[in-house]
Amino acid sequence: MLEVKHLTKIYEDGTVALRDVSFTVEDGEFLVIIGLSGSGKSTLLRCINRLIEPTEGQIIWNGVDITAADPVQLRQIRRQIGMIFQQFNLVKRSTVLTNVLAGRLGYVNPWASLLHRFPKQDVEMAMRALERVGIADQAHKRADELSGGQQQRVGIARALMQQPKMILADEPVASLDPVLAHSILGYLEQLNQEEGITVLCSLHYLDLVQRYATRVIGLRDGRIVYRGTREDIRRMTDEEFKEIYGEEAVRVSVGPREGGM
Amino acid sequence: MATRTIRKDKQPSRVSPRAAGIASLFIPGLGQILARETRRGLLLFGSIVSIIGLTAWRIYELAHLEPGPLAMLTKAVQRRPVFLIPLLVGIVALWLWSAWDAYQQAHPERRGGGGVFILVIVLFFTLGWQIGEIDLYKLVTELPDAWRPLSQVLWPWPAAIERQEEVLSAGADILVPCDENPPPPPEEVPGQPYLVATPTCGELSTLDENNQIIPGTTLHLVGRGFAPNTETKIWWVDPLGNEFVVRQGGEYIVFETDETGSFEMDLVMPYRLIPPSAAGPQIHRVEARQVVGTGPARPSEPLRISIARMIETIFLGMMATIFGILFSIPISFLAAKNLMSGSPVTLVIYYITRTILNIVRSIEPLIWAIIAVVVVGLGPFAGILALTIHSIAALGKLYSEAIESIDPGPIEAIQATGANRLQTIVYAVIPQMIPPFVSFSIYRWDINVRMSTVIGLVGGGGIGFVLIQYIKLLDYRAAGIAVWFIAITVAILDYVSAEIRQRFV
Ligand SMILES: Nc1ncnc2c1ncn2[C@@H]1O[C@H](COP(=O)(O)OP(=O)(O)OP(=O)(O)O)[C@@H](O)[C@H]1O
Ligand SMILES: [Mg+2]
Repeated sequence: MLEVKHLTKIYEDGTVALRDVSFTVEDGEFLVIIGLSGSGKSTLLRCINRLIEPTEGQIIWNGVDITAADPVQLRQIRRQIGMIFQQFNLVKRSTVLTNVLAGRLGYVNPWASLLHRFPKQDVEMAMRALERVGIADQAHKRADELSGGQQQRVGIARALMQQPKMILADEPVASLDPVLAHSILGYLEQLNQEEGITVLCSLHYLDLVQRYATRVIGLRDGRIVYRGTREDIRRMTDEEFKEIYGEEAVRVSVGPREGGM
Repeated sequence: MATRTIRKDKQPSRVSPRAAGIASLFIPGLGQILARETRRGLLLFGSIVSIIGLTAWRIYELAHLEPGPLAMLTKAVQRRPVFLIPLLVGIVALWLWSAWDAYQQAHPERRGGGGVFILVIVLFFTLGWQIGEIDLYKLVTELPDAWRPLSQVLWPWPAAIERQEEVLSAGADILVPCDENPPPPPEEVPGQPYLVATPTCGELSTLDENNQIIPGTTLHLVGRGFAPNTETKIWWVDPLGNEFVVRQGGEYIVFETDETGSFEMDLVMPYRLIPPSAAGPQIHRVEARQVVGTGPARPSEPLRISIARMIETIFLGMMATIFGILFSIPISFLAAKNLMSGSPVTLVIYYITRTILNIVRSIEPLIWAIIAVVVVGLGPFAGILALTIHSIAALGKLYSEAIESIDPGPIEAIQATGANRLQTIVYAVIPQMIPPFVSFSIYRWDINVRMSTVIGLVGGGGIGFVLIQYIKLLDYRAAGIAVWFIAITVAILDYVSAEIRQRFV
């Protein structure tokens, strides 16, 4: 269970990105965060694994206070939380395999890893992860030679290597076309349903939110302005969606891919 | 009309067109300024003032010995009419045109294009031609004279090889004047060169009272057993032992032997003043001599020096590059804004570092070399110092820009996996840094080897050092060898660096 209590983030330049945000996520949920651009979605997700230091508030995950963790504890917490990014954030010049193996960095012997040495079972695990997302044949290519959709699958494989209990996904499909979006979210849904991995994901499109979310929170100007269950969301009309989301909201015209995974 | 542009957004002129024109007639550009075309006015004023100033200076240079300004002008126009008359006419035209332009600018529709500035450029060009002492006539007439040294530079290879040299000669005694017992022809030794003269006696050429030459006896010379196809000279040895190359019709007798090493020729016995003490019959001697290379070919001194200096040059460039890389990496961190913008102190360090790098970089390596020679004396070390200093500045800037343009996304992603600081650097920072670092370093190596070929011109060691000496000694063949080595090395380097860059980037 993830508990976010009175979380506030004020950037150095005085921008208040989050104001007193509190919510709870049960294990195994697929929580979708919606909100306008600049409403604080990325800030919220990055506060959870402290890529951004919260200004105030607490984040407690399975009884452990993430906000109070020292650097060593923080790395141990981080390695159990996979993260997926809108811009994929792969190391472009490294191979796909190296990018995926990087997911093990929190587990392996640090000194060996500096020489790019990984245990044999980790390499096998990486190949299985790539197989799982359907790009095992690309393992030895440079990451920047892949298409956007393939790169995001590498991103998922990298997160899988962490054997995560939770995945944070910051607009994982915003740079992809709708068909690819369903394919990528399909993987996340499968991990969520089959392995019980909690997913926190920010999304833009109402269709995708309705299709994948088990719960939704809506942010505006760093405040939670909407909380909904799966049923609330399914009943939601475009007008209501736009009210939280603003005029930027778009409905995806392509339906979910059949047998998406 | 298409050429007429109407700009309604501008404020109207302060004065009437006529007033603007008259204003510009007194002070060029003033009318335009009054017509609210301040920049145009200032530009015109500045141009006309500079053109008149430069013209006055050139007139002074041409005729400063004359007493008054008018006399100077007349004299200068006499000396360089083709330059000065069009220039003076052009200046008057420009002045008038600027007045006309002011009139046009002050017009409510603001007519008038950039024609006046074309005239300005033409006048500056005319001045530049004269100040630059451009002389196409000289270029054309003196080119043929330059051909011999140029051809030696372009194809210096005959001077690249040398052999042990040996003089091959054979001679015949000649009795002056003839008596009943002319000397016998020399004995022929197989394998040795052999020269027969017929007859073996005769009269030397003499001078009559009008200093006209009276030709002496003609000798028929037959030579055998010499080196084939080799330059041969005919020498005359008088009884006192004086030797000289014989002239015939004013030209030295120089010819090549045929492919069997033989020759045949007629020779008029030369003029020779014989001291009165040497009365009576005398034995002179005619000799044919060749200088032949024997033994194995070996590299000539210029070739050996060029090779040695070229190696020195390459290492000079390499050492400067390595030192440059080593020193510029830490400095580049200080000059990267994204790393240094944390606190005011680091930001000050950043600005200071940047400024120093920019100043050092803007001073050419040749000038650094001159300074380095003053400090450590002539030689390659001075060159290494100069190139290192310049490399640090240039690479420091390039590296710091590479650091600034690093993508934070992968760093964030690696941190999110639970990696520690060192792992993050190895997995997210270094892979991003390698391509620009490698490519900038190779680029710099390229520049440094090129620069090290000329740094010797000012005493910084390397091949430039011998090149400038050969040129000063007018030894164009040797200079040509050095130039060839520079060209070959730079070409190979170009190829190698392109290959490496392709591998890494
Ligand atoms: N490093 C930073 N320094 C200062 N302000 C920041 C920084 N990062 C984000 N902000 C500000 O914080 C607010 C929230 O930003 P955030 O990136 O979390 O929004 P978002 O909901 O993810 O937007 P988007 O949909 O565009 O990604 C914005 O006003 C943004 O300008
Ligand atoms: Mg965002």
